[in-house]
Amino acid sequence: MNGSPASKGIDLLRAVPGLKWLLTRRWFQFAVVLPNLAFFYFFVIAGVFGSPVGSRNISIIFVWILWWFLLIAVMVPLASRVWCTVCPIPFFGEWYQRRALIGVRVGKPGVGRNQMAGFNKRWPKALSNIWLQNFSFLLLCTFGVALITRPIVSALVFAGLVGLATALHVVYRQRAFCSYVCPISGFLSLYSMCSFIEIRSEDPDTCARCTDKACLAGGDAGWGCPWNVNPSKLDRNNYCGLCTECLKTCTHDNMTVRARPFCSDTRLKGYDEAYKAFIMISLALAYSVVLMGPWGTIKDWANPTERGRWGGFALYASALWALALVIVPALFYAASRLGRRFAGATHVPMKEIFLGFSGVLVPLGLMAWIAFSIPLILVNGSYIINVVSDPMGRGWDLLGTARFPWTPFYPQSAPYLQVPVLFIGLYYALRSGDGFARSAFGAGPAAAKGAAPVAILSTAVACGFLWLFVG
Amino acid sequence: MKVAVALLIVGAAAAAGALFPSASAPQERRIKMTARQYAFDPAVLKVNKGDTLRLRITSLDVTHGFFLEAFDLKVAIIPDSPYLEVSHPSRPDEAPKKVEELVFVADKAGKFRYRCSRTCGSMHPFMQGELVVAPNRLLGGGLGGLLGLLFAGAFLALRRSAATP
Repeated sequence: MNGSPASKGIDLLRAVPGLKWLLTRRWFQFAVVLPNLAFFYFFVIAGVFGSPVGSRNISIIFVWILWWFLLIAVMVPLASRVWCTVCPIPFFGEWYQRRALIGVRVGKPGVGRNQMAGFNKRWPKALSNIWLQNFSFLLLCTFGVALITRPIVSALVFAGLVGLATALHVVYRQRAFCSYVCPISGFLSLYSMCSFIEIRSEDPDTCARCTDKACLAGGDAGWGCPWNVNPSKLDRNNYCGLCTECLKTCTHDNMTVRARPFCSDTRLKGYDEAYKAFIMISLALAYSVVLMGPWGTIKDWANPTERGRWGGFALYASALWALALVIVPALFYAASRLGRRFAGATHVPMKEIFLGFSGVLVPLGLMAWIAFSIPLILVNGSYIINVVSDPMGRGWDLLGTARFPWTPFYPQSAPYLQVPVLFIGLYYALRSGDGFARSAFGAGPAAAKGAAPVAILSTAVACGFLWLFVG
Repeated sequence: MKVAVALLIVGAAAAAGALFPSASAPQERRIKMTARQYAFDPAVLKVNKGDTLRLRITSLDVTHGFFLEAFDLKVAIIPDSPYLEVSHPSRPDEAPKKVEELVFVADKAGKFRYRCSRTCGSMHPFMQGELVVAPNRLLGGGLGGLLGLLFAGAFLALRRSAATP
């Protein structure tokens, strides 16, 4: 079942009083980005000038413990790419392009009807996919231990992302950085498919009759879609950054925010998206082993800048990249091919089968990441209480909580939460695989036979995570 | 009706899985453990419910902690010291006791992590080991439930395909 302009859900702009008014204010996005921007730059400063010990530095605790948990376990499932709505990283670049923080400029030079500064070059067609995001995220995560434990590394990466985003906004039109480069955007794109909310047109016929296309080209009321998608044709959440511009620009008042069933978008449309799913589930597995596992040697290998075991790191990095880019895709390809043979549907192109079945990894991967993140917040959440009083780790005690003892919050309850989370992930994975098999092979026995290999593989993956978490 | 049968399959598989694990008779186990940045050795302790564990823990580098979740135990492991300083998180006002070995009964079944509780370096929050106390019914029940979900899905798919002309 794909979300489509015609799909039915609860129209939140009608159901929630005041929401439409709020989201259609021109100042809305600026108002939510601004406080986030202040926090972000404080974290960069804390990362550079604060304590090098991660558990005593607000940049590590707030970003990699609190933000990460809220992002993966709350924001993405409940509110799709709402992080992109409030993200401070493209702030300066977008400000440069628009020469406005709140208002709209109309005229030339620009994009569509909007006047925009910068070179306004088109992003290269060859890179108009998420391969760059795939590789940049995998690369960052290969050095993940340094990133999430060393404040200075985190600060440099944050600052680097802002610099890169600003430079790309100067050269390329609209949010090329967010759409094609940002490593965070890539996995938000993938897992937003599961989210309970979507932005869609209310009535597709109204969009079909519309000649104005202000949602795409912009106008007096708002900017054309900064993500360069056609809001009137949105049928998946992947590339909608929830900036709410289309709610403001639509001259027919035909765009809305809907609540919908979990995992309403199930289809991946290209190898880049499928590989994002492979990379993400491989990283969930790797991080569950490295960070949450008991094996010291693997921790040493993943932490070469401190432990100096670069040979071990080469082995770890090679294994991680092989798992993400070769082993997991090969297993899914083999299962998909076997499914096609079992279904007796050798006439269906293998690409269609492979991409269709790869969609099972979206709910499974998201739930694996949520399960991984549960002990992270339960065990380390109490550091939040410390760092709000001593954000730089310099001996301050602003709120009197700097010496609050490390107090894990019922860490023994984590497995009892992780098991149902994995169960939900597998349920939606099996449902996604079954849905695709029925659409590809028909509703008869062929669908059941065709889905079987991928269903068994998905169950094996879920059992593997279960063993890691509670075995 | 079909959904009820599917739920029954999942429930039965989870229950069967939970009943499957077994444990041997309790015994006393003496374990020598070392702590270093960022690992315990042994990293995994597999015991049976009711076992008495006698742990002698030494640090190979800096001061480490040993916090065993669900067992109300927190230990300071000081390099070159023959003693462990044992305290109970539920009794924060009580002074730590100096002991040569940490003794406790594994009276709960399942998987429990022991973690370093003294900041010992950059990867300190991830320094942990595992105490696996048999019978681990959550693992058995979880695996049974996941396999039950697969079987339930197969059942529904086969019922549907049988009804399709």
